[in-house]
This record gives sequence, structure tokens and C-alpha cells, in this order.
Amino acid sequence: MRGIAAIALLILVVAAAGAVIQRWPLDPDTSISADLEGNPDRGAYLARMSGCIGCHTTTEDGAAALAGGPPLETPFGTFYAPNITPDERHGIGLWTLVDFDRALRHGASPDGEPYYPAFPYAFYAKLNDQDVADLWAALWTVPPVAEPSSAHRLSWPFNQRAGIKLWRALYFEADPFVPDPSESDLWNRGRFIVTGPAHCGACHTPRNLFGARDHEQHFLGAHDLPGGHNSPSIRSSDLQSAGWTDRDIAFALRTGLTPDGDTLGGSMGEVIRDSTSWLSDSDLEAIASYLLHDNTGPVE
Amino acid sequence: MSRALRTHSPGPGLTFRSMRRNSLIWACAGVLVSAASLALAHGNATGVVKERMELMESMGDAMEILADMFKGEVPYDAESVRSAALEIHRRAGEKITRLFPENSLDRPSEALPEIWKNWEQFESLAAQATNYSDALAKAAGNPGGPGDASQSSEYGMGQGGMMEGGQSMIMGQSRGSMMGGGQGMMMGGRRGVGPDPEHLAQMPPQAAFMHLADTCNECHTQFRVEE
Repeated sequence: MRGIAAIALLILVVAAAGAVIQRWPLDPDTSISADLEGNPDRGAYLARMSGCIGCHTTTEDGAAALAGGPPLETPFGTFYAPNITPDERHGIGLWTLVDFDRALRHGASPDGEPYYPAFPYAFYAKLNDQDVADLWAALWTVPPVAEPSSAHRLSWPFNQRAGIKLWRALYFEADPFVPDPSESDLWNRGRFIVTGPAHCGACHTPRNLFGARDHEQHFLGAHDLPGGHNSPSIRSSDLQSAGWTDRDIAFALRTGLTPDGDTLGGSMGEVIRDSTSWLSDSDLEAIASYLLHDNTGPVE
Repeated sequence: MSRALRTHSPGPGLTFRSMRRNSLIWACAGVLVSAASLALAHGNATGVVKERMELMESMGDAMEILADMFKGEVPYDAESVRSAALEIHRRAGEKITRLFPENSLDRPSEALPEIWKNWEQFESLAAQATNYSDALAKAAGNPGGPGDASQSSEYGMGQGGMMEGGQSMIMGQSRGSMMGGGQGMMMGGRRGVGPDPEHLAQMPPQAAFMHLADTCNECHTQFRVEE
């Protein structure tokens, strides 16, 4: 009898907790000023660096930019990056800069729903206010596409969006980028790109059972990436012992070619095609500088 | 060095000589080991799988020569670029596709079955490799190339200006600058058909090289097993 009562109580407590989490408001504190002017050219460059175009655009030749991405198959189910063109009905045409900032750096939709961390907002939290305004200005330069986004197809319990609030409480911190004054500007720029917008750790750092990055294993490479892909370690020591130089890394991120004349291909091939091959020399150099020289420190 | 000296007193000359012999032995061993590891990688391959792995290997060798030059590891030499580009040219296109009969996936093949689901795309990338390697062979000596001191800023070090002379030659070639720049391309959707090879043949050689590398990378992104 006491056993049944205990179980009933447990169910009640879980249900109550569920209800509380459901109603737990998500109201991130956004610092951005609503009338901050953005530079669309700079924003377009950042959109390449951040992988917006790669993930939010399907792979068919000539596909419309940012009208929604290809399926991203993960152990939790299939995610689809939504239409983020300025279409008022299906895209983000009715959003404000503040809405965009809440989404991009805080992972919250305009109506307070949390986004799945398949959208790497923890990395985008490293962008500053001007970066966000620039990206926002760039989004308005693409033609609106009146096509609905595909709904994610996730299995229970991952389809319970409220559960992300718990996940956020455990794992998400919107930390801004803080340069390390003991390192060079180039290295710091590289660290900003790699740990921020380019979100390299999204694939090169293994995740735990709940899909949160395991900081102990920062950059050590991962299995079970979307689509069943694997990624190698990009720790400085491993890159160095494999013989990579600064020049090799910059060249590979530009062309996809490895020092032996092969190509990286695979899912990195997509990253190069859609993102890194568009970056400036100095940014590729900065990435190489950070990757090859002591990137093993803890990521805040 | 006299025989007597060698017998009774192993002087520095002898040491030097044996060192030289030792290094020769090590070099031979090195060649054998690398040959063996290559054989190991492709050793079990037979028939078309073996043939195409060897074909790809040769194209990779030519690509390595090109990469070293466009990266700035070795001085640019138009003649070497032309001959390496032609090495790729005569192995690309139909020479590739004929070695991929339907569902030829025997180990240790690294091909993905997507090749036969998307054969037209595969064929078109193979043809692109033919066209762009041909364009590179034609463009190898064009002005504005890595060896050209008077190279224009458009194809020079460009962008951040971080790279000093003699650095990577393909750098400064980010797509923004290469394809006309601006947000139009930056915010563009998927690329459709690539540029006209005839046009590339008139441009500084970096452009054709970049498109050739893109083609290799794209085919290996879509159609090769990830390591």
C-alpha cells in the first residue's frame, strides 16, 4: 500500500515538475539596442563564417538561399534548419532585431520557446552586438521564399520541447567572447572564429548522452555526428604530430586539399564549400594560428 | 683511403662512408615501407576497384605537385603546372566514370552507392575535372599567376594583407573576391553550373586551380566514404 502511494506521489511530482517546466518562462536578457544599424556586407561574410548558409539551404544546385536546410540526422531524430528568408509568413519577415538576437545568442524564439541545440546558439553567443546587427542586415538581402519550414522529426522524449529548458539549465551559458591578453591578436581572432561563429566544436568535440559537449574532451573528435559522420581530433598536439603547418591548414580550409594532394571531402567538404573557402586570408591564418598553437585550454 | 688504414684504424673517413651506406639502406627501407603501405591500402583491391584506386592515386600525385606550387611551398613553374594539369586531364572524365560500373562496391572501395543514385551529377563532376584541368594547363603561364611579380591586387594577396610575398599563392582567392564579390555571392544559394572553362583558361592560373580543387572536393564530399 505504501509502495503504491509512493509511486502515485512520484507520478504527481513528475507531472507537477513537467507543468512547471512547461510554464517556466524563457525570457533571456538581451542587451542589443533595437535601432543598431547593421552592415549587410559584413553580415554576409559572417553568415558564411557561421555556417548559416550551409545549414539553412538545401543541397540541390541553384537552391534558394536560407529557405530551409536538408535533413540533419542525429541520434535524437531528424532536424531541419528552418526557412530564415524575410518571408512574413514562413520566414522571419515579422521579426525585429531584438527577436533575432534572442534566437541567435540566447536560443529562444520570439514567443519564448527554446530552440534545440542542433542550432548552435551557444557558439553564436560569442558574437557581439554589432555582429548580430550585421547578420540581421544581411538576412534582409536575400529574396523571401514563401515555403514552409519542415518540422523536426524527433522521438520521445526529445520531442518534448519543454525538456530543452532543463537542458539549458544544465548546459547552456551565453558567454561572450573574452580575448586572452597574453596571446597575439591573430591567435585571439582565430579563437573567436573557431569557438564562436565557425562552431568547430559542434562536430569536433564529443557530446554526452544528452547532446551537450563534453568540455573535458574539447576538440578530440567525435563519432555519431549527423548523417553518421565522424570527425578527427583538432587538438594542437594532434594536428602538429600529423605534420600540419599553419599554411597547410589555411590552404586546406580554402581549397579542401590536404598536404598529400588528397581532399578532405566528407562532411568537412561541405563546411569548406559553404563556409571556410569564403573567408579572408587573414581569418584563415588566424584559425590556423589558434588551432596549431595551444587550443587545449578550457573553453569557458 | 688505404686498405691498411681501413683495417687497422677505423678513421673518420670510414665512419663517414659507413654512415653514407647506412643512410642509403635506410632510404631503401623507407621506399619499401611506403610502397608496402600503399600496397596494403590498395592491396586487396581487384578489377575496377583496383584500377580506379590507382587512377585516383595518380591524380592525387599530380594534385600534390600543383598544391605545393599554389600554396607557395615550392617556386611556381608554369611548365610543371601544365604537365601536372595534363596528367589529371588525361585521367579525368570518362576515364573515371568507366571504372564505376553499377554497384561496384567491393572492399576496399571507398565509393558510396550515391554514385549510381545520382549518376548524372557524378558524370558532370568527372567532366568538370576534365574541363578545369584543361583550363589550368592553358592558363599555367598567364599573367597574374603566382610567379608573376606584377600580379594584380584582385588575384594577389588581397583581403587582410597578412600574407607577405612568397606566401601561399592561392590565398587571396576567397570566393568573394574571385567571383565578383559582394553579398550577392556571399548570400547566394547553391552554385549551379561552374564557370566556363574557356574563360578560366584566359585568367590567372589560380582561378582554374581553385575550380579544379573544388571539383575534387565536391566529388569526394558527395560520393566518397568518410574516413
